[in-house]
Amino acid sequence: MSTATPATPAPGPVDEKRASFEREALVHLDSLYRVALRLTGNAADADDLVQETMLKAYRAWDQYEKGTNAKGWLLTILRNAFINEYRRRTRHPETVDLDTIEPYSVFSDVQDDDPQGTFFDRIVDDEVLRAIDQLPEQFRETVVLSDVEGLSYEEIARIIDVPVGTVKSRLFRARRLLQRKLYDYAVGMGYIKANPA
Amino acid sequence: MNCRECAEHLYEFLDKELTPEVEREIRAHLEDCPPCGEHFDFQRLFLDFLQARCRARGAPPDLKRRILRELFDE
Ligand SMILES: [Zn+2]
Repeated sequence: MSTATPATPAPGPVDEKRASFEREALVHLDSLYRVALRLTGNAADADDLVQETMLKAYRAWDQYEKGTNAKGWLLTILRNAFINEYRRRTRHPETVDLDTIEPYSVFSDVQDDDPQGTFFDRIVDDEVLRAIDQLPEQFRETVVLSDVEGLSYEEIARIIDVPVGTVKSRLFRARRLLQRKLYDYAVGMGYIKANPA
Repeated sequence: MNCRECAEHLYEFLDKELTPEVEREIRAHLEDCPPCGEHFDFQRLFLDFLQARCRARGAPPDLKRRILRELFDE
């Protein structure tokens, strides 16, 4: 009481935990939110899912090995929470037989008229996001982790718990499907002429 | 390396998932083979387009506030 307390006390363990959490976990908030939004399909559930992920992550922060792959660790927590608590009430699990989807390259349709794919430039954000949302769930999550968040095959394989080869084949099909959807949209909008062939 | 083998490595090449040796072989083929080069360029353009369109938005500003409040009681 009588002794003067320093203006800024030395950081205690709680402050240090908070600082490292802000530095290593909270910086990935945008990525977590984008993934959550594509998984749940609506902003309210995405908010809740991310908040819950951060809460779980903070409680388990001592188990996370600092300086390793925080983004992958957080996304694993997020995906597990999604599967356990949200999937059932948000989207119905896909019934599509993924192996029957035989995507062919859009490039063969555009290589004469628009080999540089300039028609893509005219497609706006919302249309691209809508096309991603229409993908079967397994394709959607793979494409979001890879093409939006830039994770490696190995990181994605660990997060969704499948072999690297599965990541590769899903990515291949997902990208082809997405290209096809966006190409069909561009044709419908008159951004590019349909290939008469 | 022929065109078919080259095309099989298309995405691994664009995703930088190949060993340096295979990557070199692909590069060499792409230089010698304009049709494969065009196709790879198109696919790379598509992936860049996808990322640009999908990363434009992040978390809403009040979500971070909510999380900070919940975690640190602020
Ligand atoms: Zn070739």
